[in-house]
Amino acid sequence: MPLGSRYISHMPPASVYLDHAATTPVRAEVLEAMLPYFSAKFGNASSTHRWGREARAASDAARERIAACLGAQPDEICLTSGGTEADNLAVLGGWRAQFGGGRPGIVATPIEHKAVLQAVHQAAREGGDERLLRIAPSGHVDLDNARAHIRDDVAIVSVMWVNNETGVVQPIAELAALSKAAGAVFHTDAVQAFGKLAVDARTVPFDFLSVSGHKFGAPKSIGAVFVRRGTPLTPLFFGGTQDRGRRPGTENVPYAVALATAMEFTLREQHAECERLRTLRDRLEASLLARVPEIVIHGRDAERVPHILHASVPGTDSESMLMALDLQGIAASSGSACQSGSVTPSHVLSAMGVSPELGSAAVRMSVGKLTTDADIDRVVAIYPDVVRSARAMSGAF
Amino acid sequence: MTPGARVLVAMSGGVDSSVAAALLVRQRFDVVGVTMKLFEDGAELPDRPCCSLDATSDARRVAELLGIPHYVLNMVDHFSRDIVADFVAEYARGRTPIPCVRCNTFTKFSDLVTKADGIGAEFVATGHYARVIDGALHRGADDNKDQTYFLWGINRSVLRRLMLPVGEMTKAETRALARELQLPRVADKPESQEICFVPGGDYVQILRRELGEHAPALSPGRIVTVDGAVVGEHEGFARYTVGQRRGLPGGASDPLYVIALRPDQREVVVGPREALLGHSLAASGINWLVDEPPRIGDSVQVRIRHRAPLAQAVIDGITASSITLSLPSPVAAISPGQSAVLYDGTRVLGGGIID
Repeated sequence: MPLGSRYISHMPPASVYLDHAATTPVRAEVLEAMLPYFSAKFGNASSTHRWGREARAASDAARERIAACLGAQPDEICLTSGGTEADNLAVLGGWRAQFGGGRPGIVATPIEHKAVLQAVHQAAREGGDERLLRIAPSGHVDLDNARAHIRDDVAIVSVMWVNNETGVVQPIAELAALSKAAGAVFHTDAVQAFGKLAVDARTVPFDFLSVSGHKFGAPKSIGAVFVRRGTPLTPLFFGGTQDRGRRPGTENVPYAVALATAMEFTLREQHAECERLRTLRDRLEASLLARVPEIVIHGRDAERVPHILHASVPGTDSESMLMALDLQGIAASSGSACQSGSVTPSHVLSAMGVSPELGSAAVRMSVGKLTTDADIDRVVAIYPDVVRSARAMSGAF
Repeated sequence: MTPGARVLVAMSGGVDSSVAAALLVRQRFDVVGVTMKLFEDGAELPDRPCCSLDATSDARRVAELLGIPHYVLNMVDHFSRDIVADFVAEYARGRTPIPCVRCNTFTKFSDLVTKADGIGAEFVATGHYARVIDGALHRGADDNKDQTYFLWGINRSVLRRLMLPVGEMTKAETRALARELQLPRVADKPESQEICFVPGGDYVQILRRELGEHAPALSPGRIVTVDGAVVGEHEGFARYTVGQRRGLPGGASDPLYVIALRPDQREVVVGPREALLGHSLAASGINWLVDEPPRIGDSVQVRIRHRAPLAQAVIDGITASSITLSLPSPVAAISPGQSAVLYDGTRVLGGGIID
């Protein structure tokens, strides 16, 4: 007997998913495209026989399609277990490949995802000279500070294209050019950028770029690093010769197919979808400002991706807000989902100079595939109640 | 109580609060489960999976099975201020505190009630073995498990919002119900007698961390008899509690007990068992859970430590915040810092902290 049937649970209110920056459902087309590679076409892409050839063909085709989506060559694509591995491989692998060459410097920003920040800290433990760039109150990297730090003793510079909490877009073309001029390798974490901005290796001179499939309709645990030809890279894993030894391990063919398919659909729909999302997000933002005038929108003065709204209401805290929202059926997040459970103010907002009170009250709502006009109406309608509830929970009446 | 009303249940991941939540779901309340994060527990350490402290995961799994929402509430700051700081200060003063009493007073039945208010929950529920009958707090049906000793300090106005679903049951019944409901992992969990923030029962380690290695309470001093004779040395009076035998010099004709601590002289006073007996006690920080508190001359029962038998007592003196009791039959090891809880039969009248 299914366990749930013994209990009568209360009908939850109609649910609204506003956490697309955390993850998205797998698209039906993606699921359909990958399924044969779990069963009928299950071969190991390294095998000689018919099954192997079939898997190899699919894997190679997927790599070509992924490359095409990034303006890259197929041999410049390295598939990983997701964004975290992609970031680690680029940052740590890129730094280690240059270690001992008179370039101890490793430059990043304090607002990077932990996958980059912790990899940078690891490089520092291995002898790297870690430098974190100043962030302006707008949420942008301070370019003067970047010029001062990106010198000829720097091995690698890593700056995220889009911040995952605020949605602020960083000046990646300038930073990549600055790095190139200093002779440093440039990595950008484009996990929140792909599908929202033009991400093209032919027009922006980045050397490494990371993407993560589950942010745009592929399954979790598939990602990729773009490695520009000629960029030095030390692998993280050792074993077989798959992916030219850069990332050994039996290829995950179904997930490679899924990533390629999701990237293609995302690019095809990007223009129209971004317009739609921007309209939804802007209406949400304007309506919340109208109904809760004291709300503070983070990164409001900067260029932002169209799907993220990051805001704090004074006198509340993220934990209470998220709980009150969830009890109304609304899924949001306090920023990076990996940080849930901690009340320390967001490291991103702290770096932007936001006060600890506002920094620990931040709520991120991210619209996407599932979001409708009715969803926005519902969130706007209940937000004042949610704020009241969260204030009461904080004991701030 | 209207079915459908919202109830906030404090879920520790243990069997009692899990069954409490299940019973409320069965009674068709709108149940919201929360687990309080009260102290840094090492979940932030890199070798632990993100946010999956075992007990919290257990609570989350039970909530998922019951089909109720579950949240982790971070109450570390308040808990540290209201409970841990007092715990340390009391030991430093040569007293033996009960942090669970203050946790119930300040955290579970105050801060958590504020959270309940915030989400529109009319009721707050826990897995305590105690009962609320007609707005009064009574001992749990299982006398062996009764936890009212720890609950005397809660604000009386909370009683009408309090639900204690396992208070009517024995521990064996609770466990049987957990098995019947197939609650994952919780049915056969061993009983925890520890103070939650004192891993392995080593409270001295907490004192060392908070007070420093060389604090007077942790520094060597003399062990003296009631007559003033020096019989030994100790490594810090905070390691001792009234009534304790362990850690005292042997060789005396009768076994020695700790009779008192003198923090100002850093002395531990020892004596024979008879010297432990008290004929009266004074307590302060009094909280009453009844409309009409007892008066001078009234006879009541008193419990002076968890699981100690109830003793007869007569109210000798009473002020707004303190009482003195005389004990017709003397009681052993009345320890400053412990609670004195007054009962009339199964009903809790109130309590205070022994001076």
